[in-house]
Amino acid sequence: MGILKGALSGRRYRIVGDVPEGFTDDYIHALNTNQLREPQSPTHKGEVAGWCQVHNLLDVDFQDINLWLYNHYALFALRVDKKTVPAKLLRAHLQKRMEAWCKQNNRPKVPAAVKEELRETLELEMLQKTLPRVQTWEIVWNMTEQWAVFTNDSELPNERFQKLFLRTFGLRAIPWSPLDELAGTEGLPEALVSTGATDVRGGGR
Amino acid sequence: MSEEGATELLPPHISADFYLWLWYSSEVKNGKFTLEDGSALEVYLDDRLALRETGDDRPTTLLTGDSPGTTPEARAAVSGGKVPKELRLLIRREDREYHVTLRGSRVGIAQAKLPTQVKTGEVLEVLLDRMFVYEELHWLVAALLRQFAVERVSESWRSSVVPAMREWLLPLDASGSGG
Repeated sequence: MGILKGALSGRRYRIVGDVPEGFTDDYIHALNTNQLREPQSPTHKGEVAGWCQVHNLLDVDFQDINLWLYNHYALFALRVDKKTVPAKLLRAHLQKRMEAWCKQNNRPKVPAAVKEELRETLELEMLQKTLPRVQTWEIVWNMTEQWAVFTNDSELPNERFQKLFLRTFGLRAIPWSPLDELAGTEGLPEALVSTGATDVRGGGR
Repeated sequence: MSEEGATELLPPHISADFYLWLWYSSEVKNGKFTLEDGSALEVYLDDRLALRETGDDRPTTLLTGDSPGTTPEARAAVSGGKVPKELRLLIRREDREYHVTLRGSRVGIAQAKLPTQVKTGEVLEVLLDRMFVYEELHWLVAALLRQFAVERVSESWRSSVVPAMREWLLPLDASGSGG
């Protein structure tokens, strides 16, 4: 589901600040600076995040504006790669390694320092064989009306989006709900704030 | 209004009241609404309704299937003090039909099935078409919310709307009026 097809879900944002005249070169540079960069080392552990194109998550270069700028809409995606070793599998392999070490060294127990060394070696070996879990969420940004939609409704990805958007474009993305439309009617939000919860319990009584 | 917007200011019961008002109004008006600009709109509760206890954000009653709002379970839950947290609507304006879930205290728009005309082809055409209807959907939800808000802060909310809602919530055999 997303911006271009399927059901559309996500949070809408108001973008605070103006898009500068002749922004394209600056924004190409900004997007490329904050593009998803895959870790150099296959044993890298943890998360990396950055922008990619909506058409293919492997495309992270924004030089060609025809692939992300459509009239006044910018269309791109946040990609987050996370690489971890399954904890249970690591524990199981470590147990085997420790048993082998004890047998080889004719010792009843593995010293703590050796155990840590075995664990680190094993984790690096497993990280080399592990593919990252890759997630992407699309963003459409109406640059003339200054709103955007981020196609995820969970807190953490939205916080990450807001931070990276600010870092990339120098513009704040403020959550914008239909409730914010009430602000256009003078006194209405304030009057609503002063209301208490409606109690319809015990219908008819 | 602060830069953070109304969402930061409004208490969470406003969204619950809005969902209840939508549900109630769609039933008693047979789905017929008139917007502030005079245009007609149809709004129906679709196939999903989630309710929560007041003071608890987790949904504790989830009803799915055709017209879940008409079930005795749904009305009994509200009569017993639960409030709507999420509801799926069918909104029809002219020949455009939207299916959308409104969710949570932010009145988030989710799972929006948009009545797009351009299904395939150039990205630009698809995008412009989808953004046009998405914008309309956002505007329609905001217009309904404004209509609710004006009614919510009026004197008639306590004097006539709430009593009418209580009547509407009565079991069919108890109200004697079929509604």
